[in-house]
Amino acid sequence: MLAICKREFIQSFKGIKSIIVIAIFLITAYYSADFSNLFLSLSNDFTSEEKEVIHTIGISILSMFFGMLFVMGLSHDTVNREIHERTIRFLVTRTSRASIIFGKFLGIALFWFVCLLTSFVIISIFVRDFDFIIFFQSTSLAVYYSAFTVLMSVLLPKPSLTMFLSIVIGLAFPIFNGWVTLTSNGWVSWLKYVLPFYYTEDQNFEFLVILLLAGVMIYIALLVFRRREC
Amino acid sequence: MLAIETKQLSKSFWRNTVVDNIDLQVETGEILGFLGRNGAGKSTFINMLTGIIQPSSGSYNLLGVKGPNDTIKKELGVMPDYSSLYGSMSAIKHLHYLADVSGKPVTRQRCIDVLKLVGLEAHANKKTAKFSFGMKKKLAIAQAVIHDPQLIFLDEPTSGLDAESVIHIHQLIRQLHQQGKTIFMTSHNLDEVEKVCSRIAIMKDGNIRKMGSMEELRAYYQSTITVTIKHAPIRSADLDTMQKWLQQAGNQLDMKDSQFTLQVESEKKIAEIIRALGTYKIDIYRVDVEEPSLEEIFLEE
Repeated sequence: MLAICKREFIQSFKGIKSIIVIAIFLITAYYSADFSNLFLSLSNDFTSEEKEVIHTIGISILSMFFGMLFVMGLSHDTVNREIHERTIRFLVTRTSRASIIFGKFLGIALFWFVCLLTSFVIISIFVRDFDFIIFFQSTSLAVYYSAFTVLMSVLLPKPSLTMFLSIVIGLAFPIFNGWVTLTSNGWVSWLKYVLPFYYTEDQNFEFLVILLLAGVMIYIALLVFRRREC
Repeated sequence: MLAIETKQLSKSFWRNTVVDNIDLQVETGEILGFLGRNGAGKSTFINMLTGIIQPSSGSYNLLGVKGPNDTIKKELGVMPDYSSLYGSMSAIKHLHYLADVSGKPVTRQRCIDVLKLVGLEAHANKKTAKFSFGMKKKLAIAQAVIHDPQLIFLDEPTSGLDAESVIHIHQLIRQLHQQGKTIFMTSHNLDEVEKVCSRIAIMKDGNIRKMGSMEELRAYYQSTITVTIKHAPIRSADLDTMQKWLQQAGNQLDMKDSQFTLQVESEKKIAEIIRALGTYKIDIYRVDVEEPSLEEIFLEE
């Protein structure tokens, strides 16, 4: 599992797409912290709660509204590419299918953990404080997106299909999740419990539910992959 | 100990049965050659044993452990029938990575040694995307043996390789056999199976039709031993008697001036013929015995 995780993690850093995404996160972190300092010095209208989160608001928005797009964009073909090219045969004949799924998932999640940690460290240099709750909320969102990406990659056999869906879902997901979280329509509002935004509304430990949902998706991915003929 | 044991192992895709109730036993240290036409079910059978696909029914044990079992995978080396490589990795990184995945990390020197065995040492640092078909095939064999497994599955290991590479691979297989490894290989190349394998199984329509050593298979098809004897001219007085005797001794007698060809049932008959020629004081210049080739046995099946 560690070998697969390590390869997935290193592979995530390779390529122009990864460099662009990392750059977006780091630049956002830098300017988010820089501008928030400027705003705070110019105005006293902010509440104490707003003052607490204003530095990380850029990264939070990025994670919520573009997180799915970025994660799926980079890793949509993590499993199905290997099935398509049959390199998966080298793996399934050597290790358990659970190790492959967990290795892939952890590699992707670790990449986003490192990206977010670096971004929050940049912010903390400006603020001289590290907001752990918001950091863990953002990380749990990334973990949820990573699990969803692995699940999609196991369910859909064609990399071209997951590439198309990564754009569609990546753009539609935050809109849909935002809507089901805010709507009072009983037919769809229950969906907020299986989608992550609902658990990031307040700064508390509800984000742990997001990790639980990610675990459920990985478990489903594993069940499907165990039956998959490679 | 049995390296491979299958009981009523079957695989069906929808209503099409590709492997049909196969019972097979392979002893440790054996090289078993699996022969069959395209679509006979050879690759499906290997894929079931190696965990690539799941059997529809039946059971199997590998190295004494009931399969499918992930713990035994460390001791399996598999060269699948078709698989591309990780194009962005060099040959050496490829081997390192797959050995790590097996849970048996190897040194750089071990990678170089294995690449040397398959004749790829000069390309150790070259990315596999730039490899030719033959080079990819060799690396696929190298990855199957890099972690020093006990049981090795090779699905058509030499198809598409040049003659020199084939010799390399045959040497490697023999070397692995000498180290006590069990090798299960499929091939279309009858000559290769005849040369390399200690036992041969002929598969047709999802069933094993015949299995045994080359000698056992020949014995089964013994009626086709052909003997050609070149001799001194036979006196015309003895010619008729001799001809009648030979016709009784075997089949399809083809008699010329100082040579005849005859098909006999067993090697014992050859000795009888030689003794008979001696009785008639006919000098023997040359005896050629043509045993049935695997190709003939295979075609008969």
